[in-house]
Amino acid sequence: MKNISFSFLFLFLGIHVNAQHTHVQNDTTKRLEEVAITAIAKRKIETEMKMAVSVDEFLASSDHISFIKRGAYAWEPLLNNMSTERSTITIDGMHVFGACTDKMDPVTSYVESNNLSTIDITSGQGGNMHGATVAGSIDLKRKSTPFGLDKKWNGAYQTGFESNNKQFFNLGNLSYSGDKFVADGSISFRKAGNYYDGNNDEVNHSQYNKFNTAVGLAYKTSPLSSIRVDAIYDKAKDVGFPALPMDLWLSRAFITSASYKQLFEDGLLRAWDTKIYFNAIEHYMDDTKRPENLVHMDMPGWSTTYGLVSRANLRNGDCSSEIQLNVYNNLSIAEMTMYPQDRSKKTMFAYSWPWVTTRFAGISMNNSWDISAMSRLNFGGSLGWNYNHSKYVEFNWIFHPGTPQEKDRILPGLHASYQLHVNQFDFSIGTGYGHRAPSVSEGYGYYIYNSFDRYDYIGNPDLKNEVSYEANASAGFKSKKMGIEAKVNYFYIQNYIVGRILSLGSPMNYQSVGVKGYTSLNHARLFNTTLHANYDILQHLHWNGTLMYARATDDKDGNLPFIRPLSYQTSLYYMHRQFGIRASVNGDLTQEHYSPEYGEDLTPAYMVFNMSADYTFSFRNYKAVLQIGAENLFNEYYSTYADWGNIPRMGRNVFTSLKFNF
Amino acid sequence: MKEILFFLTTVCFVVLSCTKEKTDYEAEIDTVVPEYKEFKEAYAINSDGYKISIEALNGTFYTGYNEVRLEITDSQTNEKVNVSAVTFLPIRTNVDKRNVSCPHRYDLIDKPDDGYFSGYAVFTDRSDADGSWELYISFTIADQIHTAKQDISVHEQANKNMNMAMFEGKDDEQYFIALVSPQKPKVGENELVAGIYRFNKPNNPPSSDFPDASQFSYTEVSDYTLQLDPRMPEPSMGNHSSPNNKDLTQRSDGLYHGMVNYTMTGNWTLNFILLNQQGQILRGTLVPTDFTPGVEGVKSELHIDILF
Ligand SMILES: [Cu+2]
Repeated sequence: MKNISFSFLFLFLGIHVNAQHTHVQNDTTKRLEEVAITAIAKRKIETEMKMAVSVDEFLASSDHISFIKRGAYAWEPLLNNMSTERSTITIDGMHVFGACTDKMDPVTSYVESNNLSTIDITSGQGGNMHGATVAGSIDLKRKSTPFGLDKKWNGAYQTGFESNNKQFFNLGNLSYSGDKFVADGSISFRKAGNYYDGNNDEVNHSQYNKFNTAVGLAYKTSPLSSIRVDAIYDKAKDVGFPALPMDLWLSRAFITSASYKQLFEDGLLRAWDTKIYFNAIEHYMDDTKRPENLVHMDMPGWSTTYGLVSRANLRNGDCSSEIQLNVYNNLSIAEMTMYPQDRSKKTMFAYSWPWVTTRFAGISMNNSWDISAMSRLNFGGSLGWNYNHSKYVEFNWIFHPGTPQEKDRILPGLHASYQLHVNQFDFSIGTGYGHRAPSVSEGYGYYIYNSFDRYDYIGNPDLKNEVSYEANASAGFKSKKMGIEAKVNYFYIQNYIVGRILSLGSPMNYQSVGVKGYTSLNHARLFNTTLHANYDILQHLHWNGTLMYARATDDKDGNLPFIRPLSYQTSLYYMHRQFGIRASVNGDLTQEHYSPEYGEDLTPAYMVFNMSADYTFSFRNYKAVLQIGAENLFNEYYSTYADWGNIPRMGRNVFTSLKFNF
Repeated sequence: MKEILFFLTTVCFVVLSCTKEKTDYEAEIDTVVPEYKEFKEAYAINSDGYKISIEALNGTFYTGYNEVRLEITDSQTNEKVNVSAVTFLPIRTNVDKRNVSCPHRYDLIDKPDDGYFSGYAVFTDRSDADGSWELYISFTIADQIHTAKQDISVHEQANKNMNMAMFEGKDDEQYFIALVSPQKPKVGENELVAGIYRFNKPNNPPSSDFPDASQFSYTEVSDYTLQLDPRMPEPSMGNHSSPNNKDLTQRSDGLYHGMVNYTMTGNWTLNFILLNQQGQILRGTLVPTDFTPGVEGVKSELHIDILF
C-alpha cells in the first residue's frame, strides 16, 4: 500500500478506488477472456416490470435518476436531482455532447438498450473518473463479447408492441466469439405514434422514430492484448416534443472509437486500456408543424468531439487503484435563422452557440484500500484543465462587453469514503469536493429559448466555477430473507448557476416573455435520500419497496426547480417455474416545494399501478420469453413535477414483447 | 478487398457529411454590405494651369455622407502648389431651374501633412432626370482667386448603413442626419457616427454672381443629443431590441458618436429623438418597448433603416 501511495503522491493528494467500481481480477488476467476489465456483476438492461425497455426507462429504475420529460422520447436524466450540466454522461468513458440548445438530445438518446451491457451510475465526486462533475457520472457501457466463448455465435431478437402509442420495435443483436477475433453487432428500429393521456386525449406531437445500429470488432494481438474498434450510428427522425414549441426533424449521431488493451500477469500494473474516439452529432429542429408558430426559425446544431481516454489499473496487496486520463475537444455550433414575412428578403441570423470550443484534459484516480476484511477506505481525486473559446465572441459581447474570447479553468476534485461491514450490517460514510466549469449554454449560449419559464437565456462567459461540497452516508442490513438500506447525500454548492431575469435587452424568440442571464447564486443546497427494502414473503413471492425524497434550496431559502417530492415505488413479484407475475405501484406526493420563480406550479399527487406477466419457454435450441403487461393500469391522468410544461403522462399502456436468445 | 474498402469509405463519407450545410456567416455579411475604404479620384478639373483632383471613397459620389478630398497641383509640373482658402459648394439644379444645395463643408480644411484639403457633402438626391449636381470650387494661389466648376454624378447609396434623413424640426429649421459609420456593421457593439446639420435660412436676397454661398449655407449643429433606440421592425422579431446602446453626442471632429449593438444580422431601424442644446425635442418620438411578436415594430417619426 505504502509503495503505491508514495509512487503516486506526486500526482495526487491521495489514492483511492471506488468500491462499487472495478477491480482487476487476478485470475482473469492470465487469459484475456473478457474484454471488459470490469468484473462486477452487470445489471441487465431491463427493469423489474418490463424486459424490453428503452434506455430511458431503464435509467428511470435507478434511485439516483429522475427525468425531465419533454415528450415520449429523449428524456433528460437528472442525477441527484441535478440537470445534465452537473453530471458527466459518457459512453464507455467517451465524452459525447448533444447538439441541441433545447436539450432534446441527451447523450442517452444516442444509444439503444440492445447495444448496452449496463449503465454505471456513480453519485457525486466518486464519479469524477471521467472528468469534472458535481452530481456524479453516468457511464453507458457498450456490449463487448469475451474472446473464446464455448458458444461461438450468440444472438437475440426482440420484438414488441405497445398499445398506447402504437409503438412497434424490433431489436436484434448478434455476436461472434472466436479465439482471436470477436464481433458484436446490433440493429434496432422503433416507431411510435402519438400517445394518449389518462383522459384518452391524444397528446399531439409525441411520435418518434429511431434507428440505431452498432458494430464492434476486436482482435487479440497477443494472449494479453487486444485491439478493438467500435461504431454506433443513431438516427432519430420526425420526433415530436409536445412540451416544446418545436419538434425534431432529424438528429444523427456517429460515435466511433478505437482502443488498445494490454493486461499484465504480474507486477503493479495489471491492465492498461487506451482509446481514441471521435463522434459527430447533427441536430435539426422543425417548428413548421405547429400552427401556433406564426414565425418560423431554422435552428440547426452540430457537436463534434474527439478525444482520448487512457486508463490503468494497479493492484498491490490490499490496495487497488485506477488512474484515468481524459482528454477531449468539442466544438458546439448552433444557429438561428429567422425569416421575414416576405421570405425572399434578407433573413435574420444569429448563433445560439457561436462556435464554442471546449477542451478538457484531466487526470483522475480512484484508490481502494481493504483495511481489513470488514472495512475499506476509498479515496481519490481528479485535476482537470478546462478551456473555452468562442469564435464569434461578438455575440457574447452584447451582454458581456469586452469579455475575453478564451477562458481557462482549473477543476480540482477530491473524495473519500469509508465502508464498514459488520455481520449483516453495512455502513458507509463519505465526503467530496469538486469544481465544474459552466456548460456551453451557460457560458456562451445566446438567446436560447426555454419554453418552461418562457425566457430567452444568455450565457455568461465570466461565470465562476461551481464548487461542490458533498457528504454522503448509507446504512444497510441484509439477511437471507430481507434487506433494507438507507442512503442520504447532501450537496452544498457554491456559485450555483441559474438563470436570473435581466433588466437589459429584449426577447428574440417568438414566444418568449423576457431575457434571463446565467448568474451564480451564492450557494444552493441539495439533499437526497432513499430508503430501499426487500423481503421474500414466500419462496416464490418477493416484495420490494423504495421511498425517495429530495429537497433543494437556493441562497435565499427559495426552492430550486425539478426537485423530486416524496416518491414511492413498491412491487410484488411472484415467480414459479416458467411463469413470472409482477405488480407494482409508484407515485409522488404533492410537490409542495415547487419554484414559481423558475416557472413551476404545484404538481398534485398521483399513483400509478402496473402489472406484467411473463412466460419462459424453449423450443429446439432457442430460449424465448414472452411478456405481456400494462402500465398505468387504471388510466390515471397525471403529470409529474419534472414534466416540462405539465404535459400529461401516458395513460394506460398495454405492452407485449417476445425475446429469443440463440 | 478493394471493393470493401471503397464501400466502407463511401459509407463513412455519407454518414459523416452534414445533412444541412452550416451558414457561412462571414461571407454572408460580406455580400450584403459593400465596404469602401479607399479614396480614388472621382473627377479631375484642369483650370488656369492647375489640376484639381477630387477624391471620394471608391471614386464615386453617393447619396448621403461623402467625405471629399481635394488636391491641387500644377498641371505642368505635377507638383503641389501653395494653395489657400479652398471653398467647395455643391449645387443641384432641378428641372424647374431651382437651385438647392446640401449639407457640406464650404471652407475646406487644409491637411498639409496628407497633402489635401478635406471636406464633405451630404447629397440629398441622386443625379437623375429631375436634377443634376455641380461642384463649385474656388481657391487662392498667390493672392489670386481661381474658380472651377464640375458636373458630377451622384449615385444612389446601395448600403443602407449609410442612409440619411432630412426633416423639419419643431423650431421650423431644416435638419439633416447622415450616417457616417459603420459602413459594415457587425453583430455586437458598433460605434455609430452621424453628422447632424442645419440649413441656415438666408437673410438676404441672393447677390447677382452665381452661386452666392450665403444662400446655400449649412452648419454642423453643436451640443445637440441624438437619442438612440435600435429595434428590429420585422413582425417576426416582435420589436426586438438590444442592450448597452449609447446616445450620440458631439465630439471634437464635429460628428456625433454613440454606440449601437446589433444582436443579430437583418433589418434594423435606428429610432432617433433629436434634442437641442436645451434638451428640447426637435424631432422624434418614443417607441414602444414591449415585445410584440407578430406586429410590425412602430418606428419613431425620426428614424433610419439599416440592413446588414
Ligand atoms: Cu433540438
